[in-house]
Amino acid sequence: MTKKRIKCLLMYGVAALVLSIPWPSFSADISNDDCMQCHSDEGLSRTESEGIKEKVYVDQNAFNYSMHNINGIKCVDCHEDITELNMDAELPHSAVLAPAQCAKCHAEENEAYQNSVHRKAKGKGVSIPCYSCHEYHYVTKLDSDSVFERENRFCLKCHNPNNSHDWLPQKEAHFAYVECSVCHAPAAAKRINLRFYDLIQQKFLNADDILAALKTDTKGFMPLIDIDKDGIINPDEFDNMVFLFRQANLRGTFHAELVVEMSPSVHQINRGGAQGDCNQCHEPTSPFFQDITFYLRTKDDRLVTNQVDRKVLETYNLNHFYALGGTRVRLLDMIGILIFLGGLGVAAAHLTIRILTIPLRQRRKEQEHHS
Amino acid sequence: MTIDETKMLYVHPAPVRVWHWVNAAGFILLILTGLQLRYPEIFPFMSLQDAVTIHNYVGFVVIGNYFLWVAYYFGTLKIRIYIPNLITFIPAAIRQALFYGYGIFKGDPNPHHMTPDHKFNAMQQSAYLFLMVLLLPVQMITGLFLWDVQYFQDYIQVFGGIKIIDSVHVLIFFFFAAFMCIHCYLATLGHTPFAHFKAMFTGYEEHH
Repeated sequence: MTKKRIKCLLMYGVAALVLSIPWPSFSADISNDDCMQCHSDEGLSRTESEGIKEKVYVDQNAFNYSMHNINGIKCVDCHEDITELNMDAELPHSAVLAPAQCAKCHAEENEAYQNSVHRKAKGKGVSIPCYSCHEYHYVTKLDSDSVFERENRFCLKCHNPNNSHDWLPQKEAHFAYVECSVCHAPAAAKRINLRFYDLIQQKFLNADDILAALKTDTKGFMPLIDIDKDGIINPDEFDNMVFLFRQANLRGTFHAELVVEMSPSVHQINRGGAQGDCNQCHEPTSPFFQDITFYLRTKDDRLVTNQVDRKVLETYNLNHFYALGGTRVRLLDMIGILIFLGGLGVAAAHLTIRILTIPLRQRRKEQEHHS
Repeated sequence: MTIDETKMLYVHPAPVRVWHWVNAAGFILLILTGLQLRYPEIFPFMSLQDAVTIHNYVGFVVIGNYFLWVAYYFGTLKIRIYIPNLITFIPAAIRQALFYGYGIFKGDPNPHHMTPDHKFNAMQQSAYLFLMVLLLPVQMITGLFLWDVQYFQDYIQVFGGIKIIDSVHVLIFFFFAAFMCIHCYLATLGHTPFAHFKAMFTGYEEHH
């Protein structure tokens, strides 16, 4: 066998092997740019059966920042019934497309969703598919989002929390600092996010601002702050961090919020399943106060998380965060107990001396009586 | 001294007695529910939610009751019984402190003689004035802020944040808890252990 024949056989073999692999139905032929030739037109719409017009415009800038695009997911990976585009036709693909099958990639999330009030609503004639909450094309990372951003983009689109929380003490404070899912998806892991609010610029500083002021970068931040190198910022290190911030002319406060980890169980929200027992949260050993993160969000939406010791919650560095049971200043307790025991002790000591000196007063009374 | 020599003095008018006992009951409930709120893992009196509800309602009752005290004492100008005489205050306070700290054990007579217009001794005057004009209003205002932290957030920011407000509220809470112990104990120093308690119900102090 000649070298040429061997080479030829190898090439055919490789080609046959590649073709025989059960590739997922990703259509490599149709690129996002092909789709955007039409869908970047802001006026593009389709007419529903009832005559209602629905926009089918896709904001490419927003899509570029979506998690799907960042992870290399293409339009036709979700719209998988589009296998070819006939650019000569007025409509290059079928007018009616099958719904995107999110569950094919998000199986765990789907499983949790199947056992949720949002899925069960279908039995009552209300359909709440994934994109009702997550939007069609602009799914972004939520990790670094504030409670305000998370709630506005999800729950508050449909729910008015004021309608059903009158029983809740400090209702408005809970809405402002606690994400809905913290109580409504009890199985989801929780954490407290700390962010730095600059009082001079009156805005939350992102990672770039803070790191530039400290003359370091994302990799250098923790080694600068975490003096004992245990990977956690303890109260002393936090004090030192505040001092470094002041030296760098960063003057502000730390804003704390209670949010859920982005885990599949977040989707398992059920009627009557919310955490309604205040003691579950407002207690020093509550899991709600165990995971504390000081996070830095870069301008390109990357997240740098830094673990913080829960004892930092009990310090005056977090003057603007207070949750009964969870943020108690221990020194204050000790001072308070001393004050109380002081009062009790003075009364007890005085009473004891009064009892011990009864004979003295009796003798004096008798002497006065005799005289 | 015989019973005939006992003189009854009307020193606690009805509005003062109502204010005093409402305040006392309010303080006890606020201290108990306050302990429950601050130490939920230690005190098993009630659920946190019930403690919050009771603490809030009772707090407003005590605030309303404070205005009864203000209306009565300022309306009748009897507030002057709380104002120390700057000339006699220091020697009178020393005399009173010596009595409580030493003379009382020997059986010395109390240097202060209670009358309706001169109800408090020098130490009581300064203590109650401090309490009613400074501590209680500060406690009421910080309590009001903590009742709805979102509504009062601008004021809370002015004072340095919610943890500062809470710390002030908690420190005064401990002070009031200590005050209650001393106050109740001192009330037993009448001619009988319950004489002052009885007077606070009837309005009449027995003057011997």
